[in-house]
Amino acid sequence: MFILRFLLRRLAQGALIIFLVSALIFTLLRVVPGDPVRLMAGGMAPEALIEQIATDMGLRDPIPVQFTRYMSGVVQGDLGQSFVRPANGAAVGGASFDDSTRSARAEVWDLIAETAPKTIQLACLAMVFALMIAIPIGVWGGLHPGGWPDRIALYCSSVFVSLPNFWLGIMLALLLSVKLKLLPAIGYGGFAWTILPALVLAIEIAPFIIRSLTVSVAQIMGQNFIDIAGVRGLSRNQIIFRHGAKNAAVPLLNLLGVQFSMLLGGVLVVEFIFDYPGLGLLTINAVMQRDFPLIQGIAIVTAAAFVLINIVVDLLSTLIDPRLEY
Amino acid sequence: MLNRRSFLNYAGMAGAGVLMNRVNPDFFIGTARADVTKPMTFLSAENITGNWDPTAHTTLSQTTIQGFVMGYLARAPMRPEDPQAMEMELATELNLLDAHRFEIKLREGITFHDGKPFTAEDVKATFEYGAQPDRPAQWYPGPTDSFEVTTPDDYTVIVDTTKGGYGAHMFYFLTAYLPIMSAKDIAEGPKGALTQRLNGTGPFKFVEQRGNDTVMEANPTYWKGDVTVPGVVYSFVGDATTRMLSLLNGQADVIERLEPEQLETLVGNDEIKLSKLVSVENKYLWFRCSKPPFDNPLVRKAAAHAIDRELLLEVLGDAGAPNSNFISPIKFGYVELDNYPEYDPEECQRLLAEAGYPNGEGLPELEYITSTGFYPKTKEYGEVITALLQEQGFPVTLNVMEVAAWNERLYDRPGGGPGHMIDCGWMAGSPEPDLVLRTHFHSSSKRICGIVDPEIDAALDAERNAPSLEARKEVLATNLMPLLADKVPALSLFTSVMIHAMRSEYDGLFIYADGLMDASKVTSAA
Repeated sequence: MFILRFLLRRLAQGALIIFLVSALIFTLLRVVPGDPVRLMAGGMAPEALIEQIATDMGLRDPIPVQFTRYMSGVVQGDLGQSFVRPANGAAVGGASFDDSTRSARAEVWDLIAETAPKTIQLACLAMVFALMIAIPIGVWGGLHPGGWPDRIALYCSSVFVSLPNFWLGIMLALLLSVKLKLLPAIGYGGFAWTILPALVLAIEIAPFIIRSLTVSVAQIMGQNFIDIAGVRGLSRNQIIFRHGAKNAAVPLLNLLGVQFSMLLGGVLVVEFIFDYPGLGLLTINAVMQRDFPLIQGIAIVTAAAFVLINIVVDLLSTLIDPRLEY
Repeated sequence: MLNRRSFLNYAGMAGAGVLMNRVNPDFFIGTARADVTKPMTFLSAENITGNWDPTAHTTLSQTTIQGFVMGYLARAPMRPEDPQAMEMELATELNLLDAHRFEIKLREGITFHDGKPFTAEDVKATFEYGAQPDRPAQWYPGPTDSFEVTTPDDYTVIVDTTKGGYGAHMFYFLTAYLPIMSAKDIAEGPKGALTQRLNGTGPFKFVEQRGNDTVMEANPTYWKGDVTVPGVVYSFVGDATTRMLSLLNGQADVIERLEPEQLETLVGNDEIKLSKLVSVENKYLWFRCSKPPFDNPLVRKAAAHAIDRELLLEVLGDAGAPNSNFISPIKFGYVELDNYPEYDPEECQRLLAEAGYPNGEGLPELEYITSTGFYPKTKEYGEVITALLQEQGFPVTLNVMEVAAWNERLYDRPGGGPGHMIDCGWMAGSPEPDLVLRTHFHSSSKRICGIVDPEIDAALDAERNAPSLEARKEVLATNLMPLLADKVPALSLFTSVMIHAMRSEYDGLFIYADGLMDASKVTSAA
């Protein structure tokens, strides 16, 4: 019953969050400058035609009317069609008229379904790299609070967090791809294309994990039950990995949940630099082209992912520490 | 009974199952690099449209793709040493029979990629379809009802312009610009094959559009003989640094629109070759001529005299070449105009005073719109122009926009386009000057500046109606172009220099002055 109540409550909260995000994005898109119909029809299209298309598409209706129409489609699983992208998914622009010969538009859902797996792959690999970097440094620092391992953890975090991701991306591409020819860097042709952007993202998020681990491990290792564990005859490694690390995992898990959600929705710069065809690049192009349905669709999907990831994180936290209640 | 642990176990298994369906397992086993026999990869700075009909757009990247796939009656290399040279391709002869009749003799034994034989009916259908008033790419001297196309036999086409009253020579240079479509595709009409894929007679066959990659393969029956490259992948990559990194690490073979700084980085790199070409594109400062204050030619001319174009060239470095006309030096009819507005602050002040705005007093706040991310250095030289205009009293504000927002504001509208001045280039890959002049300065078109001036209309009609190319050249140089320099509906700032970079192992790539490329005879050192 706990599971059912928990899920119902959290999913209801999640639905509300997604609704609010949708309403906000929908409204903002319609009040900022930039007429999508002008971009769709082309700069040379006459004003009367622009107005006619906009009216036909319902874009001159009041925003609440447009939003209600849009949400009624969303609840039926219809995120609409892209304003500008053809069914083959190419990023397009520069059409010159409302030409009757233009090919069919892509479904927003199809565009997201095609790109999201690549971003999920990138986010997962970035998380693995980040943990590989952060766990040794963070745990080591936490075990020696105030000592030089702690200072190294602090310095590493400071350096990592200070590196701009676009600069780091270009430098790593120059070093690992251009000079050493170890990895491909641009576009996507298989798993190897994910490694470099994942490394950049990992260095970006590792400082947060290092600081969280350092603090939580130091805190846990100062607790009475850790001191008593030694009296019980447990070895230092057993104390650290069975008791210390497990208890330090709860705040880390929450942090990872947030970071993973951020990765899904916020890898814009890194995907742009590496021309990685994931959700981030799709979002940038959609914003550039004022592709309202696509921007809205991506916002809804990433908000839903954020909600679901946080539900999973909370469930996992209760699994690790049954005293927790959400 | 379901508890937290079993719920998580089941949820984990279900999630993994869903993920297996979503994630392509090839991600984990795909090879990282391809060998040297791979198709050539070209990276473009511009995306394409959603419509493969060649008459449906004026987008340069898509025009370049057409250059690989489509056939042309003739090609114009447009090199500075002989800018008007024409090389026959699908045509074997271009003959001006008289002032209003133009004869095209066609090559025999050529087929389209779908197997249809190429004949005169395809040229007739292309001309008649492309000149329809509703086609977005308005390339023809007049609409379909202004000329008549007859086909005395399968390999002869005669264009008669008597009805339109203009010279048949207007079709001469156009033959190097119009991709010839299949009459069968055209007959299918809107939403037919024409819009879904490219079908031409060129060295490469269109295979598919895969996301941002346009995939083409060698045409085994190409009429000029074996194509030495197995295929071409033409991809849109928006970021200039990303394109350069791709070239440096060997993922891309050819990249375009290099920034001058990138050129400096690549000079001396043994793995990279560079190509610099005076292009067919001029960059312009377009005045919005249909609204104050630039509806007054005196104010336009004053602004033109406030701008030191030599300073702009210093900012541009290798990406620009000087120009004193409204068309590129490699266009038909180009002359250095004696009355082209030069930097002259005193003349600027005199004209401002004559227009009723001494020292710029009384001028409204002016908006100058430019873009960043596509053309080289627009923001940088935009700042120079703004400072120069402000120095003379023009209350100008520079508005730098990303490409989509700028594009949305680019063209003329009733009452005048947005802002008061806007930056844009115009590229049309043929020596034909009217692809620029008539397109922009005739009141029936006036794409960006919105000018309506009966004198300019009359001068444009006079050069179009000239009885021969020689007569037309004379009218252009002595009548139309000096008139434009006097009325300045736009100020041509410079001619773009097109910079391409390619992997040095390749040889034999021919680049036209509008960026189109012939890759059919490229060989690899490897």
